[in-house]
Amino acid sequence: MNSPGSSIRTITVMGTFATIEVVGEASDPKQVTEREEAIERAFEWFHRIEACCSRFEPASELSHLARQIGVPVSVGEILYEAVRFAIAVAEESGGAFDPTVGASMEARGFNREYRTGRVVHTGIAALEAISYREVRLDPERRTITLLRPLMLDLGAVAKGLAIDMAARELESFTGFAIDAGGDLFLGGRRVDGAPWTVGIRHPRRDRELIDAVRVSNCAVCTSGDYERRGAGGGGHHIIDARSGRHATVLASVTVVAPTAMLADALATAAFALGPDEGVRLLERHGVEGLLVTPTLQRHATRGFPSDYSILQDTKGPADNRLRDPAGDRVTNRGHQPDIWCSR
Amino acid sequence: MKRRPLVALSSAAILAIYAAGYVRTRGAADRFAAEAAPRRAPGANPPLVQSPPPLPPVQQGEPVIPPPTRQIETRARAAAGQTPGVTSAPAPDVVPETAAPAPSPAITEYEPPPAPSAPEVPAPAVEARFKDGTYLGWGYCRHGDIQASVVVDAGRITSTTIARCLTRYSCSWIEALPGQVVSRQSPEVDYVSGATESTDAFHDAVADALSKAK
Repeated sequence: MNSPGSSIRTITVMGTFATIEVVGEASDPKQVTEREEAIERAFEWFHRIEACCSRFEPASELSHLARQIGVPVSVGEILYEAVRFAIAVAEESGGAFDPTVGASMEARGFNREYRTGRVVHTGIAALEAISYREVRLDPERRTITLLRPLMLDLGAVAKGLAIDMAARELESFTGFAIDAGGDLFLGGRRVDGAPWTVGIRHPRRDRELIDAVRVSNCAVCTSGDYERRGAGGGGHHIIDARSGRHATVLASVTVVAPTAMLADALATAAFALGPDEGVRLLERHGVEGLLVTPTLQRHATRGFPSDYSILQDTKGPADNRLRDPAGDRVTNRGHQPDIWCSR
Repeated sequence: MKRRPLVALSSAAILAIYAAGYVRTRGAADRFAAEAAPRRAPGANPPLVQSPPPLPPVQQGEPVIPPPTRQIETRARAAAGQTPGVTSAPAPDVVPETAAPAPSPAITEYEPPPAPSAPEVPAPAVEARFKDGTYLGWGYCRHGDIQASVVVDAGRITSTTIARCLTRYSCSWIEALPGQVVSRQSPEVDYVSGATESTDAFHDAVADALSKAK
């Protein structure tokens, strides 16, 4: 976790905490400096992408785009790629994931700028008929055209993209971990050479894990119904774009994928689709995932490790493990990741 | 072979953005690399990685190398232009110009807000500025209560820290938020996917503190 050879730093950004850990030699001051500089550069991507893609920020490029209806707007690479990817996921998921739910999210109370708590009101109506089909992209001129007034919500995609850009920044290191509010990217290996072990939060018992996987070079993102309740005690933040209602069939979806933007978007899409369609979506795209219903039934992709071995290796309930810092760090399977991702 | 269009598309997006950032900021990146070079082990990184696109404006006035503290911090994004939401324009005034679609089909160029070093975003400012001082606010989650301390200097937020936590666990779990929260209770894992609650509680605490700074 916080081993002697690691540099680790936490900031608040994108409405959450972001932690970056880079492993290496502790004794070499040059390497320490190099790691810390790389962590700084990695965090810059978070700030940069947030400044561009936030619907809470009137000065963001995204908000600027929302004020131009019916005309092609020339945008920068970050916004263009984020929107293009979001639209592609919308198409691939049959609209279960849809980035045009921004106004609907706002209407449901997800309207608070997290740094100040002030309420954002864009004045854009949350129309049921709005969908990703109202967004046109021109790859030649790199423009985005909104055919009708709408607000894009790039929350899942933008945070994933920031994680991916940070990972790109850190890829020369033998091991690194990026944690942005429970959305993760685990690069390479831990300082002891083992793959990273990632716990998956139990959707109903917040002190417990429902599973754990060993991964290398993978993003691990979870969408759960326990996150981010809207103002006034309303529902959670995942809307089935096809019905305009909160998705209720699943309690959480965890996706393990080569990129965080993909893992985050597909977790959101699968959450809206429900267990059967959700698993099919993940398998169609060659990623792994665990879908848990409110009654704790598990639905997993075929390649998702299903032996619970990591959690079962240590005996007793989670509370008894509190004073066992070694855990099962070293087991006979400890040096083989369950899932290894390649781009 | 599985068809993996979204995997390919997301990877392509990352490369495109990285390359664009690299080209645009190459001058600054080269200077950065040159300055950093004597401190680097030779040949430690491939060139592209060694010359990344740092954001010069954001780094202005900040140390390149942060103190190696593990304290939770909100870095003071000091320039007003970077965080107009914090320091200037009140939100409810923002009404998009959707009623009157632009008559010309010409491409609209995005004009980014002024660089952070610029004096101020041209927006109705001032009245939303916070009063200087240190403010405390509370946030709540199922774990218990978190108290945030927010320091406002010259009308801007310069730091936010967790001051106290009256949670079922000691404050120590908060030192390395967020994923560590659960992993500290389950030492066999390095990070936890899906742990977000304490984050929300901290936001509430910051918002509560700032409500007193107006």
